[in-house]
Amino acid sequence: MWAEKYRPRSLGEMVDQVEIVERLRSFAEARNVPHCIFAGPPGTGKTTAALCLAHDLYGPGYRGHLMELNASDERGINVVRETVKTYARTRTLGEVPFKILILDEADNMTGDAQQALRRTMERYTETARFILIANYSGKIIEPIQSRCAPFRFTHLSREDTVGRLRQVSEKEKVKLLDDGMEAILEVSGGDLRRAINTLQAAASVGRPIDAETVYSVVGRANPADVRGMIELALKGDFLGARERLREMTLRYGVAGSDIIRQVHLEVFRLRIPERWKIRLAEAVGEADFRLVQGSDEEVQLSALLARLAEAGYEMGRGG
Amino acid sequence: MDNRKPILELREWILSWKRGPPGKRAALLYGPPGVGKTVAVEALAGDLGMELVERNASDQRTAEAVDRSVGRASQYRTLTGGGRLILFDELDGITGTADRGGVSAITGIIKSARCPVVLTANDAYDPRFSTLRSHCLLIEFTRPTIQEVARHLRRICALEGVSAEEAAIRLIAERNHGDIRSAVNDLQALAQGRGRLTLRDVEWLASRDRKEVIFDVLRSVFHSRDCLDAKRAVDAADVDLDMLFEWIYENAPRQLRDPRDLAEAMEALAEADLYRGRIRSTQDWGLLRYVVDLMTAGVALSRRRTPPQWVPFRFPDRIRALSATRGERGMRSSIGAKIGRRCHLSSKRAVAEVLPYLRVIFENDARMAEGLARWLDLDEAMVEYLTGKG
Repeated sequence: MWAEKYRPRSLGEMVDQVEIVERLRSFAEARNVPHCIFAGPPGTGKTTAALCLAHDLYGPGYRGHLMELNASDERGINVVRETVKTYARTRTLGEVPFKILILDEADNMTGDAQQALRRTMERYTETARFILIANYSGKIIEPIQSRCAPFRFTHLSREDTVGRLRQVSEKEKVKLLDDGMEAILEVSGGDLRRAINTLQAAASVGRPIDAETVYSVVGRANPADVRGMIELALKGDFLGARERLREMTLRYGVAGSDIIRQVHLEVFRLRIPERWKIRLAEAVGEADFRLVQGSDEEVQLSALLARLAEAGYEMGRGG
Repeated sequence: MDNRKPILELREWILSWKRGPPGKRAALLYGPPGVGKTVAVEALAGDLGMELVERNASDQRTAEAVDRSVGRASQYRTLTGGGRLILFDELDGITGTADRGGVSAITGIIKSARCPVVLTANDAYDPRFSTLRSHCLLIEFTRPTIQEVARHLRRICALEGVSAEEAAIRLIAERNHGDIRSAVNDLQALAQGRGRLTLRDVEWLASRDRKEVIFDVLRSVFHSRDCLDAKRAVDAADVDLDMLFEWIYENAPRQLRDPRDLAEAMEALAEADLYRGRIRSTQDWGLLRYVVDLMTAGVALSRRRTPPQWVPFRFPDRIRALSATRGERGMRSSIGAKIGRRCHLSSKRAVAEVLPYLRVIFENDARMAEGLARWLDLDEAMVEYLTGKG
C-alpha cells in the first residue's frame, strides 16, 4: 500500500505536527524518552511518529529494540502480564539503555489490563519506555496518564495533505487533477491514511484522477447506505431498516462504530424539527457508549432504529 | 480436550495428600454445565486407583444424611489401601428446605477430612457457599470453544464410524454453547444407527427440538400483562437464554406494531444485552437475572398500545444470516490480520479502513493487485475474495 510505502522513516521526513516532531527530536538527541501518550484522530501520524522516534534513537536496526503491540487485537490483562512484562523487564544491549514498547490503539485496552500496565510501567522504567497510542486519551486511566508525557496530534492541514498527495502521485506517475485533489481532501477530512488509500484506489481505475473517479471509488468502498436506513426507520419500516443494518454489518463488515458516526452526522442533516435532532443525538450517544462497553452491535443499533421509528411516528402526529 | 490446566491442578492437589492433609482439604470445581467437571474427577480417581465415594443431587443431602453416608468414609482409609476420594456433585442442587443443614454438614466433613473431598458447582459464588468456599481450593472449569467441541464430536464420529458433514458437526457444536455433554447427546440422537450425518439431518433436529418450548415462552413474553408471568415462563422452560434472546429480538417488531411499544421493547432488549456484556467482562453470572428480567418482563410490559392479535412466530433471521455469512466474515478477518501486520493496524481497523480500498484496487488493476497480494502475503482464496470472484 502506498500509505506504507511513503510512510516517513525518520522524524526529519515528517512534515506535519511540527511542534511534536521537534520535541521528539530533542528526545532522540538526548537519548532519553519519557513514557508518552500520543492522542489524536486517525491518520494524523501517531504510529509514524513513534516508529520514527525509535528509528532516530537506535538507527537502522531499530526493530530489534522495539516491540509493537496492538491493543485491539491483544487487549486482555494476560497480554500485559505475560508478553509486555517479559519484554519490558529484560535488559537491552547498546548505548540506549532502554527499549521502546508501542501500544497502539491503547484506548481499546480493558480496564484491568490498564491497571496491570500501570505497575509494569513503573517497575521497569529503567529498561523500557512506553508509547501509548490512542484516539482519545480520555479512555486511558488517570494513573497512566499522569505517568506519561502527553502529545496531542491534530488533523493535518490542507497544505500538508496536498503536499503529500502531490509527492506520492508524482512518484507513482499518476495524474491527479485539481478537482480530484479537492475531492480527496473533502472525503478524507485530514486523515492522511484515508487520503492516500483513496488516491491509490482511484489510481487503479487507470485514468487521470478527477472528482468523479474519486467519488465513485469512495462510493464503492463504503457500501454503508446509512441515510437510506435512517429514512426507512423514520417512515416506520423498522424491519426494512434492520435488514439494511444487518447487510452492512454482516455482508460488508462495516464496523458498528462507523455506522454510529454516520448516523450522528445524518441526524443533523435530516429535515426534521430542530428539537428532535438533539433528542435523537442523545439516543445516538447512548448507543455509542454501549458499543464501547462491548455490547452487541446489531442489538444496540436496532434499539436506535426503533427510537427513530418512534420519532418518525410522533413527528407525523405533530409531536 | 480443553480444561487441561484445571485438571492438572486437581491432580497435583490430590497427589499432595500423600504428604498429609494440605492446607485446603477440599477442592471446589466450578464452571458451566457439561464442561467435564464430574468426568474429570471420575477419570482421575480411576487413573490414581482410588475408590470414589459419590453423592449427587439425586441423594438426599440433609445434615444427617450427609454425615451418615459420607462422614464415616471421610475418616477411614480403604481396605485396599488405594486411597479414597469423596465427591459431592452438583452442589447447586442442594435446596434450602429439603436438604436442611446440608451445606454446613459438608463444611464440617471437609474440616476434619482425612482424604480428598471434591465438590462441583456451577456457581461457586452463590452466597450459600460463602463459608464452605473459604475451606476449598477453587478450580475453575471453562467452556470449551466451539472448535474444541467440534473436534471432540469429530473424534467420536471417527470412532463410531459415522461420516459426518463438517457443517453438521459445527452446527451441533454451536447450538450447544460449549456444553459438551449435551452436544454429544445431540450427536448420538442424530447419528445413532446410521453411517452418515448431513447438515439437513441436523437442521431438522434444531427446529424440532426446542421450538415448542420456545413458542410457549414467546407466547408469555408477548402476551403477559405482568412481570412474574413473563419471567416464570423462562424458569419453567429449559431453553438456552441466548437462543431465546434471538427469538424475542427477531419477533418483537412483528408482534409489537405500535412504534412506541416497539421502541420500548427494543430498549429493554438493548439493556438486557448490556447486562450480557457485563457478564462477559466480569464473569459474574449472578447478573443473568437482570438479563432475564429485561428480555422477558421488560418486553412484555412494553405492549401498551398494540392491540392483541395473533401473529405467527418466525425463526430468528439473524442466526441464518450469521451462518450464511460465516465464511465471508472469517475471510475478511484473516485478510484484516494480514493487512494489520503490514500497516500497523488492528485487524478490525484494517477491515474497516483499508480492506474496502483494497477491494476497489483488486477489481480494477490486476498488476497493482498482484504486487499488493505478494506484499501482504495473501493466499489464492483471499485474492479471489477481493477480486469478487470468491
